[in-house]
Amino acid sequence: MIQGLILPGQDMHLFLLELPQQLVNGLTLGGVYALIAIGYTMVYGILGMLNFAHGEIYMIGGFTGWWVLHLLSRNHQVFMNSAAVIFLMIILAMIVSSFVGVLTERFAYRPLRNAPRINLLLSALGVSIFLRNFVLNYQGAKARTFYVSSLIPKGLQIIHVGPVVISFMRILVIILTFLMMGLLTLMIKRTKAGKAMRATAQDLEMATFLGIDVDRIIVMVFIIGSALGGAAGVLVGLLFTQVDYYVGFQAGLKGFTAAVLGGIGSIPGAMLGGVLLGLCESLAVIFLPSEYKDVVTFVILVIVLIVKPTGLLGEKVPEKV
Amino acid sequence: MGKRFRIFMILGLALCVGGFFASANAAGLVDPATGMKITEIHIGDAGAFTGDAASPCMEIFHSAQIALDEWNAKGGIHGVKLKHIMGDDAMDPAQAVNVARKFVADKLMFGVIGPPMSSIAQATMGIYASGNLACITTAVSKPSLTEQGYKNFFRLCARNDSHGWNCALFIKNYLKAKKVAVLNERDAYCVNMAKETIKGLKKLGIKDILHETIVAGAKDYSSVLTKVRVYNPDVLFFVATTAPDQAIGVRQAKELGIKATFLGTEGAKDVKDFIEASQGAAEGAYVYHFAPDIYAIPAAANYVKKYESKYGTISGFGPTAYEAMNILLAAINRAAADGKITRKEVIQELHKTKNYHGILGFPVTFNKKGDLEGGATYFFKVVGKKFKQVAVMTGK
Repeated sequence: MIQGLILPGQDMHLFLLELPQQLVNGLTLGGVYALIAIGYTMVYGILGMLNFAHGEIYMIGGFTGWWVLHLLSRNHQVFMNSAAVIFLMIILAMIVSSFVGVLTERFAYRPLRNAPRINLLLSALGVSIFLRNFVLNYQGAKARTFYVSSLIPKGLQIIHVGPVVISFMRILVIILTFLMMGLLTLMIKRTKAGKAMRATAQDLEMATFLGIDVDRIIVMVFIIGSALGGAAGVLVGLLFTQVDYYVGFQAGLKGFTAAVLGGIGSIPGAMLGGVLLGLCESLAVIFLPSEYKDVVTFVILVIVLIVKPTGLLGEKVPEKV
Repeated sequence: MGKRFRIFMILGLALCVGGFFASANAAGLVDPATGMKITEIHIGDAGAFTGDAASPCMEIFHSAQIALDEWNAKGGIHGVKLKHIMGDDAMDPAQAVNVARKFVADKLMFGVIGPPMSSIAQATMGIYASGNLACITTAVSKPSLTEQGYKNFFRLCARNDSHGWNCALFIKNYLKAKKVAVLNERDAYCVNMAKETIKGLKKLGIKDILHETIVAGAKDYSSVLTKVRVYNPDVLFFVATTAPDQAIGVRQAKELGIKATFLGTEGAKDVKDFIEASQGAAEGAYVYHFAPDIYAIPAAANYVKKYESKYGTISGFGPTAYEAMNILLAAINRAAADGKITRKEVIQELHKTKNYHGILGFPVTFNKKGDLEGGATYFFKVVGKKFKQVAVMTGK
C-alpha cells in the first residue's frame, strides 16, 4: 500500500474540494505542453525527425520575454501599458525563437536532409546541448525572476470562483494558448500554405513534383513551431515567474511526451496530448502522493501506445512504394 | 677571452649569493611526506559558485577570503603566503568530483572550505579523505555524513537531526501549530531534513501531518499546493535547497489562498532571491538558519564592516565561512610551527579545536566525529525587506 494514497469514496469530500482547482491547474499546464508539442509534431510530420533542440527554443523564448520585461521596467515596475508589455514580450519571443529555429534548420538539419535519420537526431541533440550552454555562458546559471506584480492591478490579480482560486495570469495563459492553437488549426486547414504543408507532410517527394517549394515549407514549419514554443516560454515565465537555462530540458521532455501521446505528426493530436498530459499530472496528485505524478503520466503513455501504437489521433501512414 | 671568463665568474658568483639570500629570506616550510618545499599554502573553496545557489556560495567565498587576507596581512603562516582557490561545482555532483580530484592533486593545498551541500559532500568526501585533505563545511547538515568514520571532515553548523528537532519545537511551541504540511525536494539534504522534522513533530504529539514531494526546478508547484490547501494546515514547511524555488513556493501558496504560515529553509534566507523574488508573498514568512543574526554580535563588527564595504548585506552563510577559514588557518599554523607540515597534521590539529571564540557568538568545539558540539537553530521572520531573528532553539 502506498503511503498517502487516497481512494475515491474513502475521502470523497477531499476529492470534490480539490477537483475544480486541479482542473484549472491541469488546463494551464496542458495548454503550455500543447504549444510545445506542436513544434515537435510539425517537424516530425515533415522531416520524420525528433527535434530535440525544441526545448531550448522554448527556453530562449522565456529569456527573450524576461529581457523585454526587464528593459521595460524600472525597480520592478513597468513604465508602459501592461497589455503592450505582455504583447511585446510574446511577439519578440516568437520572433527570436523562430529566428533561432530557422538558423538551426539551415545549419544543423538541412545539410543532413538526405543522411540517415539517426544523423539528424544526433545533430538535434548537439544543437540542444549547444544552445543550452550558449545561454548558460551568456546569461549565467541563476534563475531570472519575472517581476510581474506591477503588470496587473492588485484587485484583478486573483479571482475567486466558488472554491476555485484563479489568477489573472492563469486566465490569460489559458486564453492565449487556446487562441494560438485555434489560429494554427485555421491556418493549416484553410490557407494555401497550410495545404502545402499538409501535402509536404504526406509525401515530400510528390509535393516537390507538384511544384511546392519544399525548402520554403520546411522553413515555415520551423518558424511556426519555434514561434509557438517561444510563446510558451514567455507564458510560463509570466505564470511561474522564473526562467533559467535548464527549463528547456523538462519542458522539452513533456512536450515530446505530449506529442507522442496524441500521435506524433498530428497537430490536433499534439494539442489533445498536451492538454491530457497536463490534466493527468494535476489530477494524479489528488489520489497519489505527488512523487508519483510523473509515474502516472508515463503509465498512461505506455498504455495508450500499447492499445494504439500511433497515439491517440495518429494515423497509420500507408507504406510508400 | 679572459675578460669574458671573468664576467661569467662574477655573474655566477652574484647569482649564487643572491640565491643564498633569497632562500634564507623565505622561512622554510617543508612537507616531510613528499620532501617538497612549500612556497605557498593553498586553501581550496568548494561550492556552487554558479547556478541558483551562487549567491550564498559567493558569500561563503568572499567571507573566507576576508579571513585569509587578514592572515596574509600578518605575514602568512611561517612566512609563507596563503592563496584561496575557488572550485566551482555548479551544484552538480559530477563536477564536484572533478573539483575534489583537482584539490587533492594540488600538493600545496592543506585544507578546504566546503562543500556546502549535502549531496555534493556525499559524492566527494571519500576523495578528500583519500587525499587526507581536511574539509570544514559551513552548511552541510545531513547527519550520516559524519557517521562514516572519515577523519578529515568537520562541520561548523548543526546537523539535520538537531535542526529537524529544533524546527519541530519551533512549529509546535512558537507557531502553535496543530496541523502541519511538509513538502520536500528529493535530494539528500531535503529528504533528510523533512524526515527529521516529521520525526520530531510526531514525538511532540503532532499527528496531523501531510508529507509530499516536489520536484526542484519545476517552477510549478500548484498541483501539490492545491492538495495542501484542501488539507488546510497551520504551518507549511517548504523544504527546498535554493531561494528561487522557495520564492515560487511561497508565491504560489499565497496565490492559491493557503493561509498556513510558511516556514522555509536556510537556503531561503536571501533578500534578493527570496524576499524580492516572491514579489511581496514572503511577508510574514519564517525561515530557519544555522547561524545567528550576525549584526547582533559585537565580536563580528569588524568582519561585518569589511564585508559590507565590499559586497553588500550579509544573508547568513558568510560568517561561518569566515570562522571556518580562521579555524582552519589556526590549525595549519599550529601544524607548521616546527617548519614542517603535512595534511595529516592539519587534520590532527583541527581535532584539537576546543572552545574557539570567534565571531559566531558561541564557542566552537569539534567532537570526535568532526561535528560541532551543541548546535542551535535560529529562526527569522520576514519583515519588509529584512530577516528579523525571532527565536533560537537549542533542543529544549
